[in-house]
Amino acid sequence: MNCPICKEPMIILELNRVEIDYCPVCSGIWLDEGELELLYSIDNTESELKKLFRESSDSKEKSFKCPVCRKKMIKIRFNNTELIIDKCPVNHGLWFNKGELEKVLSAKTNQSSQKVLSLLKEMFSYNKSQEAE
Amino acid sequence: MWELIQSNRRKSLILFFGMGALLILIGYVFGSYYDPEAGGVVGVFFAIVLWVILSALSYFAGSKILLAVSGAKEVTKDVHPQLYNVVEEMKIAAGVPFFPKIYIIDDPAPNAFATGVKPENSAIAVTSGLLSTLNRYELQGVVAHEMSHIVNRDILLMTFAGVMLGVITIMSDIFFRGMYFGGGSRYRSRSSSKSSGQAQVIVMILAIILAILGPVLAQLFYFAISRKREYLADASAARLTRYPEGLANALEKIANSTHKLRSANKVTAPMYIVNPLKREGMKLADLTSTHPPISERIKILRALQQGVSYNDYQRVFEMIHGKKEKIIPDSVLKESIAVTPVIGLTNEDKDFNPIEARREANDAVMKLNDYNFINCKCGVKIKIPPDYNKPIVVCPRCGTRHQLR
Repeated sequence: MNCPICKEPMIILELNRVEIDYCPVCSGIWLDEGELELLYSIDNTESELKKLFRESSDSKEKSFKCPVCRKKMIKIRFNNTELIIDKCPVNHGLWFNKGELEKVLSAKTNQSSQKVLSLLKEMFSYNKSQEAE
Repeated sequence: MWELIQSNRRKSLILFFGMGALLILIGYVFGSYYDPEAGGVVGVFFAIVLWVILSALSYFAGSKILLAVSGAKEVTKDVHPQLYNVVEEMKIAAGVPFFPKIYIIDDPAPNAFATGVKPENSAIAVTSGLLSTLNRYELQGVVAHEMSHIVNRDILLMTFAGVMLGVITIMSDIFFRGMYFGGGSRYRSRSSSKSSGQAQVIVMILAIILAILGPVLAQLFYFAISRKREYLADASAARLTRYPEGLANALEKIANSTHKLRSANKVTAPMYIVNPLKREGMKLADLTSTHPPISERIKILRALQQGVSYNDYQRVFEMIHGKKEKIIPDSVLKESIAVTPVIGLTNEDKDFNPIEARREANDAVMKLNDYNFINCKCGVKIKIPPDYNKPIVVCPRCGTRHQLR
């Protein structure tokens, strides 16, 4: 699977049974539809999470193509914030630019998102320390 | 067991010649449609050549073709250890001296099939969806069902029939396309006498009827037999695992899946453990379906409480089906010895974790697609696609730089 932004092949990272597609060039993250389900299978917050996203038509961001089906992804706004995320129109998954996934998860703090958030922090701890320097 | 094999061979032969005759008839009529004088002979010649080539092909490479069409890839033990172990167990339980090749199809829809002309070079293929939804007992049931197809020599019959069916379907397809583009009209306009014109109309109607009915007829040939083979394989699977509940649950999970098998088509559909081209609410489908209704198969398996021998299966089948019908040949029933089911097994596999099963199945598919797996010492597993072209990959957790070959 290639990164929708830089078109480079993405690598897959697995830690504590959670698997994400990660672009080593732009640090973007692709979450497969099934993966998102697994992430939230711990409790049923998935539909709750979905409610927080609203389609936004006025976004000026450049649109990208879904890495699975190559259809143009739609922009969705998170919880009336400025945060805009790309979503495959036929639900293949979600694309998060660098840092976006973290913001989404830290905004919605229930147990399972806490779990996922700490996992992500863990997974990218080296990248984080590099940025700090 | 011997009679099972014998009667299967006989059926293989009848089927083989029956379909061949149908093929010649179709060839003759289609040929006559294009050219009333010499076309019939040319058509028959064409049909026979096609038949011979494809028969030979199906005998020597039929299973390879079917596996390739389904997008199946051969796996070794380290790709998916559990699947390998289950196949090994069932091989021992069935008492077969050879080891079937194991294939995985990358598809979220759970399903499985067996193929191969001789038991020595047979193969069992399962989808990644099957691996990620079934626990060990259920997987055992499915593998035992497929192993029974191999032991009962069903695969020879299924392979031949599948390829034959394919030829007839292709021929009527070509005919319809040819008619659409007006292929026959050139010759027709040349004919002048009234009687030959009439004959041509008859030939044309006959050709159209054959083009429509040919594939249906060929399928009916095959459905009746194929359905019996499914019951028989279920019976054998219950006997091999001594745990009919496992297969029953597996069938239920497969039937309830909302995914649709991508690679399945009319020709390959009958091979699968559950018909992948199921359609909701089709009552007519009972007549033309390759598989017995799945609810009935599950009901029979679940009713096998006291014993799981062939005798028990035949008895329960008649009870649920409501009429006498021989599913299992007499000599087998005569020799059938009582087999008690395993009691006290709860189907809840304690170690079964759907997330892990899914991860394992996905990993197996990635390994088959030449992904490079790196286990970083910090605990992160990095999976690198074959088209990744940089010489190193940096672990985002600990910063280790992994050299790639």
